[in-house]
This record gives sequence, C-alpha cells and structure tokens, in this order.
Amino acid sequence: MNEGDILKPIEKTIAQDNINRYAEVSGDFNPIHIDEEFGKQSQFGKNIAHGMMVAATISEIMLINFGELWQSSGKMKLRFKSPVYPNDTIRASGFIKKITKSEKTNDIHCVIDISSNENVVISCDAFVSTPINQETI
Amino acid sequence: MTADNSKYINYETLSSGDLISKRSYVIDEKIVNDYLSATQDQNSKQITEDIPSMIIAALGLRGVVNDLKIPGGTLHVGQEINFKSSVSIGETLKCEAHLLSNTVRKDWRFMSVGIEVHNKNNSLVMEGKSSIMLPA
Repeated sequence: MNEGDILKPIEKTIAQDNINRYAEVSGDFNPIHIDEEFGKQSQFGKNIAHGMMVAATISEIMLINFGELWQSSGKMKLRFKSPVYPNDTIRASGFIKKITKSEKTNDIHCVIDISSNENVVISCDAFVSTPINQETI
Repeated sequence: MTADNSKYINYETLSSGDLISKRSYVIDEKIVNDYLSATQDQNSKQITEDIPSMIIAALGLRGVVNDLKIPGGTLHVGQEINFKSSVSIGETLKCEAHLLSNTVRKDWRFMSVGIEVHNKNNSLVMEGKSSIMLPA
C-alpha cells in the first residue's frame, strides 16, 4: 500500500427499519431516531439515523482493507457533521493519507468521509499499524 | 454520580470523574446478527470470526445513553475509539463510563465521557471518548 491509495468504497441506503434495529442493538431509543412524530417536531423535521450506525461503515471499510489488525489495534476519530435521514443513500470513501515507517510497523493514517446528498455527514481519521512485510490481508 | 432509578438527572451536579455507567454484557449470536442486519454489513462475517468491533463501541455507549438518561434532542458530535483486542461470541464485556468534562455555552451543555471496555480477564478491549451536546 502507498500514500494516496484509494480505499474500496461502500454505498448503502439507510431505511427506517435499519434505524429501528440499531436502536435494539445499541439500546438507544432516543425518540429523535424512532418516533416519527417527535422527528417531525424536531429541528431536523424528521427522524435521523444513529451516528454510530452510520459510522459502522467506516469500520467496515477498514476491516476490508486491513483485516483483523483493524479489529485488534485500530483507532478512529469521528466528527459527526450532519444527520442522515431514513431513505438517504450514504457513500463511505477514503484514502491513505500518510504511512510512517518505524522499525517494526507501518503506521497508516487514513482519511475517510461518509457523504449523503453530496454533503459530508461524518469525517474520520483512522489509524492502523501493520507489521513490516504484512501490510494488508 | 452513579446510575440511579430516577427519571431525570440534574446535569449541573455532575463533575469530572463521576461514574456514569457500569454494565456488563455477554456477546451472543443474536446481537451480532442484529448488528449486521441493522448496519447492512455484508463483509465482516466473511473476513473475521470475531465480532465486528463497532458492536463493542455500541455496547460501551449503551450505558452512557441509558444511565445518563440522555434526553431527546441530544446530539452526538464526536467519538474517539481505540480498539485494543478482538472479541469473540460468548465473551463477557464489562463497560464503564466516566464523565470527563461538563460545561455550558449559550443554550447547550457540552459533555465528554470516557468509556472503557474490558473482557472477563480484565484486559482492555476498547477505550473511547464521546462528545455530546444536550439542550441546556
């Protein structure tokens, strides 16, 4: 892998049913996510998806590109910029910003954005260290 | 502050270092399958036999959301996550959250919460920091 390499993107459409299921998994039943009437009265005018549900796609991208090293040593810094609404299509894409070589590892810094309707809804700096001679799965 | 059974929390009384939540979970196949279905994740199961790491983060946040009794209208504005170890189905995870900061600016209360998740051997499997904004 080299600096500037593009990570394989992922695209998904978020349904209200996905949001309801994530509420069950996360235990986050905030009405802004699952109550249609509450959503209509909110500043957003409708329900919004859980930020961490949308951000899960970033972890998925990192797992695809870096394998189980991501699961055991990955780091991510997420900034939630805009909400994602039911029926929105999100696209997660990113690239390798920097590779810092040390004695035993390549420390890889990736920048990944999730976009919806051409707006960035989540931006992320993700970091993973791969042993020298074992850069990817 | 620790989790209690009251419906509301007076957030003004919370201080840095307060215990927000302490919970444990056993990871079973149902939660993994529910997570994969909710997130439409069609890749993780083909790459690893371990659970997708973001389940750990979701469970770590579960206690924060519920024991902090976060009101409707709260915004999750930032999240840092460090994965330390993979987790398998059947493992027990112990999640603890402590308040890191609590300030008010204009109409919003800004809180940051530190989260640590350990396995049954007391090895750290994930640590993180959540930044949230609550209507003040």
